[in-house]
Amino acid sequence: MGVAIRVENLTKFYGGPTGTKALEDVDIAIEDCEFISIIGPSGCGKSTLLRILAGLHGFDTGSAAMFDEGVDAPRDDVGVVFQTANLLPWLTVDKNLTLALEIRRGKAAAEAADVGAMVEMLNLKGFEDKYPHELSGGMKHRVAIGQALMQNPRVLLMDEPFGALDALTRDRLNIELLRLWQRDRKTVVLITHSISEAVLLSDRVLVLSERPGRLIADLKIDLPRPRDPSITRDMPAFGDHVVELSRIMGVV
Amino acid sequence: MATPPRTQSNPVVAALFFVALAAAWEFGVRLFGVKSYLLPALSDIGVAFWEARAMLLDHSLVTLGEVLSGFALAAVLGVALAALIHVVPVARSTLYPVVIALQSIPKVGLAPLMVVWLGYGFGSKLVMAFLFAFFPIVISTLGGLASVPSNLEEHFRALGASRWTMFARLQVPAAMPNFMDGCKVAMPLAVIGAIVGEFVGSNNGLGNVILLATGSSQTALTFAALLTVTMLSLVLFYVVELLSKFVWWRAV
Repeated sequence: MGVAIRVENLTKFYGGPTGTKALEDVDIAIEDCEFISIIGPSGCGKSTLLRILAGLHGFDTGSAAMFDEGVDAPRDDVGVVFQTANLLPWLTVDKNLTLALEIRRGKAAAEAADVGAMVEMLNLKGFEDKYPHELSGGMKHRVAIGQALMQNPRVLLMDEPFGALDALTRDRLNIELLRLWQRDRKTVVLITHSISEAVLLSDRVLVLSERPGRLIADLKIDLPRPRDPSITRDMPAFGDHVVELSRIMGVV
Repeated sequence: MATPPRTQSNPVVAALFFVALAAAWEFGVRLFGVKSYLLPALSDIGVAFWEARAMLLDHSLVTLGEVLSGFALAAVLGVALAALIHVVPVARSTLYPVVIALQSIPKVGLAPLMVVWLGYGFGSKLVMAFLFAFFPIVISTLGGLASVPSNLEEHFRALGASRWTMFARLQVPAAMPNFMDGCKVAMPLAVIGAIVGEFVGSNNGLGNVILLATGSSQTALTFAALLTVTMLSLVLFYVVELLSKFVWWRAV
């Protein structure tokens, strides 16, 4: 096992040290194959933190490392899923699924990949040749997640991947995400603003304060795996975690 | 029954209106005794068109060659220039203003100069067609290249895409719909450019036919040649329109 991601004393300003402080002294250690959620109010810098881990943003002080290497650029073994399903409208589902693989490892790798298995796993059978505009919102997000999974990354970073979806679709995608992760465990960092989503999916939930984002809670989720939403949600521990997180976030 | 939306045109009504206009022309000219060198009756134009069909076709092919060469050159150089301006920051502050300044010169005024520089033949017409078609292609392509959604650019950056990959796989396809829009504007302009070139000095082409027919008071032939130019322009426009169906993703 070992530590997959280590963030120490991380501080980030927007617009230089005189600008807005987005993150303050953040310390996080994430184990390999751990599923972590980061929650916090809007504007708390949780997306900024994810972008720093993705190598998209720099930071001012402290350090961010993945598998003991400092993060200063996008890494090959990291898959990122954003809030908008970033599909290319001129490519079919098939081609969108292999796009990341193709960009990172070339055409040969994309052609050798088992797209069929991924299509099956995502319940997208029959939609391989459709274009994104022919898909529902939930399907687009499944393709976006599939694209990240096709790279078989060691770390999956997700920035409110279901934030723009209706509650029902969101539930369904959570179930699928749970199923996918239980089948093929990776280190996952999920940014979300849904407490119940975070509890349902994660091994640990980290809470960031309002801007500037500081780590104010690190809660281990004590629920057995494999989890099944319909059963897990009825467990007393589930409700306890939700209540505790709500209190920390000042919702109740 | 649902009433059709107001924006939908009724083809039957449109056809009837055209027939009415044609009838008004035909019988108006006869009724008011308009001199045929001023405005020939529609039927006379039809006769002139039919009698001169072989000659008109020959000259059409000359003009068509000029238009297509000028247009092709405009498309190639226009896209190249737009890409250069988009990719090289220095080009935006140097080349772009020059293009704008050149665009502001009335291109009709350049036609005599082109004849002086390139002679009465094919070259001066090609350049005129090119000059008319070039600018809309540059502007539309530039707009397209800049229109790539920032979330897709971020996605590509997260995948560690090189600038070339970003350009070829994201910006170019994203700019295609705008480029095709530019072509739709540019194609009829290229026809105008070629005709203007032929007006100023030529031995053949439809512009030459119009000039000679008007000079010898063969007004019916002038109209027949105008009709030919119009048809040529329309056909070329629809060819572009047809090609632009291949880049359907604008509406997505």
